Amino acid sequence: MIQTLLYGLTTGAILYFFAIGLSITFGTMQIINFAHAMVYALGAYFLITFLPILQGFFPLAALFAILAIIPIAYVMERFVIRRLYGESLDYAMIATFALLLIGTDVIKWIWGNTPQPVTDPIGVSFQLFGIDLPLYRAVIVTMAFAVFAGLNLFFKKSIVGKIVIAALEDTEGVRCLGLNVDKYFSIVFILGSALAVLGGVLYAPISSAEPYMGFDILLIAFAVVIVGGMGNLTGTFISAFVLGMVIALTGRYYSQAADTMVFVVMAAVLIFRRSDA
Amino acid sequence: MSPLNPDTSLSRICATKRTTIYRDMVLMAAGFLALIPLLAMHRVTDFMIFCIFVMSFDLLYGYMGRLSFGQMLYLGTGVYVSTLFSLHFNPNPILSLMAGVVGGAIVAGILGLIVVGLEGASFALTNLAFNQVGFFLIGSAFQKVTQGEDGISAGVEPWGFLDLANEHVAFGFVLLCLLFTFYMLRILTSSPYGIIIRSIKENETRVKFLGYNTFFYKWLTFVLAGAFAALAGTLYTLYVGFVSPVFIHPMNNVDVIFAALIGGAGNLFGAIIGGVLFMAMKDTLSTHIPQWEWILGLLLLVIVFWLRGGVTGLIKSLRDFLRARMSRGPVAEVKKG
Repeated sequence: MIQTLLYGLTTGAILYFFAIGLSITFGTMQIINFAHAMVYALGAYFLITFLPILQGFFPLAALFAILAIIPIAYVMERFVIRRLYGESLDYAMIATFALLLIGTDVIKWIWGNTPQPVTDPIGVSFQLFGIDLPLYRAVIVTMAFAVFAGLNLFFKKSIVGKIVIAALEDTEGVRCLGLNVDKYFSIVFILGSALAVLGGVLYAPISSAEPYMGFDILLIAFAVVIVGGMGNLTGTFISAFVLGMVIALTGRYYSQAADTMVFVVMAAVLIFRRSDA
Repeated sequence: MSPLNPDTSLSRICATKRTTIYRDMVLMAAGFLALIPLLAMHRVTDFMIFCIFVMSFDLLYGYMGRLSFGQMLYLGTGVYVSTLFSLHFNPNPILSLMAGVVGGAIVAGILGLIVVGLEGASFALTNLAFNQVGFFLIGSAFQKVTQGEDGISAGVEPWGFLDLANEHVAFGFVLLCLLFTFYMLRILTSSPYGIIIRSIKENETRVKFLGYNTFFYKWLTFVLAGAFAALAGTLYTLYVGFVSPVFIHPMNNVDVIFAALIGGAGNLFGAIIGGVLFMAMKDTLSTHIPQWEWILGLLLLVIVFWLRGGVTGLIKSLRDFLRARMSRGPVAEVKKG
C-alpha cells in the first residue's frame, strides 16, 4: 500500500511537471499546446544522448537536456505559436498537433522506433515501515514540491511572474498598460517547455524513452488541466497529485483501467462544474 | 415548429433547388465511378465510406464550429454494435446497419448531454477522453465479447441480392449510402435548422438572444453527427467483415480532422474532396515512404497558416479572382476567402 502511495505521488509529480506548461500556455495565450508532448519526448531523448558523453552523470545530463530544449521552444513559440494568438482555438490545436506529428517523426528518424531504457540514476532504496522503496521516486516527489514552491515564488515575487499572473486574469488590460505581453508569454512558454523536459527526463529512468511517450501522458495531462482549471496554478498542482493517486490506486487492482479512470473522474468533474469551461 | 417566418429573406437563403442537389449527386456518382479505373474498385468503396465519416464530422465542425477529437468513438460504436448484432441476433445486413446507426445515435445522445454544454478546448478534449474510454471498453474491458486486440469477424450474411461480399454490389450499396448521406445533410444544412447551427458557429449568444434553445440544437447536431459516423462504421462492418479496435482508436481522429480541413470545412463537397484526397495521399505515401506522418504535419501547418478554406476554398477564391479580372480588369481588388 505504501508502495502504491509512493508510485501515485511519483506519477502525480511527473504529471505536474508536464501539465503546468499546458496550463500556463492555455491561461495566457488561449492555446492548447499538443506540441508539449513532443518537447517532453525530446527531453528524454536528449538525456539519452548526453548521458554517455558525460560518463553517465545524470544531473548534468538532465541540465543539458533542459538547456537544449530552450532554443527549440523559442523557435516553436516565435514561428508557430505566436502566429496563432487570438485565433480560434481549433486552428491552434491543429497546428500544434501538426508540430507533434513532425516532431515524433523526427525523433523516430534520429533515434529509431525501439524504446530505449535508462538506468535508475540513484539505484538506492530506502526503508519506510519495513518496506523497500526506491529513493529515486522520493527525489522526484520532493522536486515536484520544490518546483511548486519555486513557481509560486516566481509568480508572486518576480516582476515577470506578476505580469504573467495579471495577463492570466486579463490579457487586454495588461496590454493597455503598455507592456509587451508577447515577450512575457514567450518567457513562460519556454519555462513551461523546460518543465516538461524535466518531467520527461525524470520519467525516462522509470519506464524508457520511446517516440510516443508524449502521446500517453498528453491525454492524462489534459485531464489534469481540465480538472485543475485551465490557468489555475495551484489547481493544477492539486489535481496532478489527485489524478496520479487515482492512476496508482486503480492500477493496483485493475491495471488496464488506470488511464480510463482518470477520464471518468474528469467527466464527473465536468458534469458537476458546468459553468467553468 | 420553427419560429422563422417563411416570407423573410431567410427562406430565400434556405431554399436550395432540389434540381441542384440532384445534379450534384449525379456528378458525385460519376466522379466516384471515374475513380474506379484509376484505383481498384475496393479502394474506391473504402474511400466512399471514409467520405461519409468526413461528412458526419463536417456537420459538427464545419457547420456548427465544434471541433471534436472523439468522432472515432461513434464510428467504432457503429462498427461494434452492428458486428455484435449480426453475430448474436440476426445476420441480415440491413438490420445490422440499422442497429449500428441506432447504437451510435444512442451513445451520442447520452454523451451529448454531457459534452454539448462545453465549448472550445473542453469540448474537444472531453470527446477525446470519451473516445479513450470507449477504446478501453472495446479493447480491454469487454475482451470476452469483442475479443480485444485480436479482432472479431462479423456474421453478416447475404440477404436477397444484397451480397456485400460481391465487390460490385458493395460498391453500389456504399455509393447509395453516400448519396443518401449527402442528400440528407444537404437538405438539413440548408434548412432553417442549418441556418441556426451555422449561426451558433458565428455567435451562440446572439442565437440564444433570438429565443432559440441552442442546447437542443447543439445536442441534435451532435446526435446526427454520431448517427452518420455510425453509418460509416456499419458500412465498414458490412464491407470489411472483420473488425478490430483500430476502428475506435483515438489517434485516428487526426485523419478525419485533416480530411475535413484539406477539402475545406463547412462544405459537403469539401468533405468529399478532402476524404478522397486524404485517402489517396495516405495510400500513395504509406506505400512509398515508411514514415509519412511528418508530411501530414507540414501540410496541416500550410492549411492552418495559408489555406484556411482548403481545396474548395482555393477553387472558390480562384474563381472569384478570375471573375473579378474579367469584369473589372486587372486592378480589381480580390478579397481572399
